[in-house]
Amino acid sequence: MIPRHFQITTALLLLAILFSGLYMIHLRQREEAASLQSLQAAPSVPVLEGKQERIRVLVAYDEDQALRWRDAEVFMPVERSSRARAALRAALSQYLQSPSPHPLGKGADIRNVYLINNDTMVVDTTSQFADAHPPGILLEEFTIASLIETLTANVSGVTKVKFLVNGQERETLAGHVDLMSFYQTAAVHELAKEFE
Amino acid sequence: MHWNKGRSPLRLAGAILCLGIAFPWAAAGQSPTPSVTPPGAEASSHAPEFFVMIDPAHGGDDKGATLGAKLLEKDFTLALARELKKELQARGIPAHLLRDTDVSLSLERRAEITNETHAGLYVVLHAGAPGTGIRLYASALTPATASVGRFLPWESAQAASVERSRALLRSMAPALRKKGFSVAVLPSPLRPLNNVTGPAIAAEVATATGAQPLQHRAKLREALASAIAEGIAQARGQQGGRL
Repeated sequence: MIPRHFQITTALLLLAILFSGLYMIHLRQREEAASLQSLQAAPSVPVLEGKQERIRVLVAYDEDQALRWRDAEVFMPVERSSRARAALRAALSQYLQSPSPHPLGKGADIRNVYLINNDTMVVDTTSQFADAHPPGILLEEFTIASLIETLTANVSGVTKVKFLVNGQERETLAGHVDLMSFYQTAAVHELAKEFE
Repeated sequence: MHWNKGRSPLRLAGAILCLGIAFPWAAAGQSPTPSVTPPGAEASSHAPEFFVMIDPAHGGDDKGATLGAKLLEKDFTLALARELKKELQARGIPAHLLRDTDVSLSLERRAEITNETHAGLYVVLHAGAPGTGIRLYASALTPATASVGRFLPWESAQAASVERSRALLRSMAPALRKKGFSVAVLPSPLRPLNNVTGPAIAAEVATATGAQPLQHRAKLREALASAIAEGIAQARGQQGGRL
């Protein structure tokens, strides 16, 4: 025969377990409801203000050793760094198609563009942009001139541009052309004219 | 004012003077620079005479461009540099190689060695696509307008000499064309041109020059070296021996 006090203790323990379980379910439901509420209350990603525009892109043609202006239809945001990124990506898209007038490595892209002091832009590129870039003085010079000229043609007031690769500084693009310095856009404009 | 024992103004001044002699970089507030002797080169750190510092681009782990099935840019530039040195010396112009073996040298170190040895002219040799002929480059820096002092900013050290570098290219181009090469003279943000204090130029041999792959063209290499050496000799002659 089981003693009475042992029966009562066991029953109380079972009840405690049951109530604990119910309380945990209740807490979990409350937490889920709260997180759902906060999600609904969180601000949504702002829609980029802008419109489809015909922009000018300076395209490099390796075979002809020349740079030529081309038109491109691109959605251009109003905000200047987003606008710069859109213009730069439009230039890169010319090189990533097949056949390409100036082949770049697959995955070459612009990660972000930062505006500093209203006149300086820092362009952060993907690793593939530099790692898979064909080496050569002229080839690298074409890439830099094409991107900077395209940027300044579509975003006003930019006087200096610097390139990063995957968020880091790099000495050269592919062993030749400087990536450490800030490029003066006026000097690049003069340089680009040599090839137009 | 009382001075502690052994700390008279005279002794203090003497100690500072000795420190300045022993560690001049410390007195100047700069970090010590490493040895200036270029590997494989016989250049002295106090070269009194004009000489050309030839830099065969790339080397070691840095292979440069792939120019053909079995030819790397680093090997081609070294072979061309050796030819160029011979051709310059044959014209009475002393020349040294910045590297004479397959070693890695950072771009900054190349500029440091050139500056520390007071080279009269720095010539860096490259090879790559596209096109044919030779492309000659000088720095794309804006020339310095005001007179520069003894200390130059590293990133724009070439600004004081860039006009002389461009003038040299303008003088060299006709000599190269005369030898049958198509020549383009261009500005470039090529490293380490901007870090060299004296006249500094780059020559890039286009990979499609001639009919055969570059590795089979010892004669073409000799012709290129001869043409570049002739261009330098003529430019130096036109500028009265000073570059």
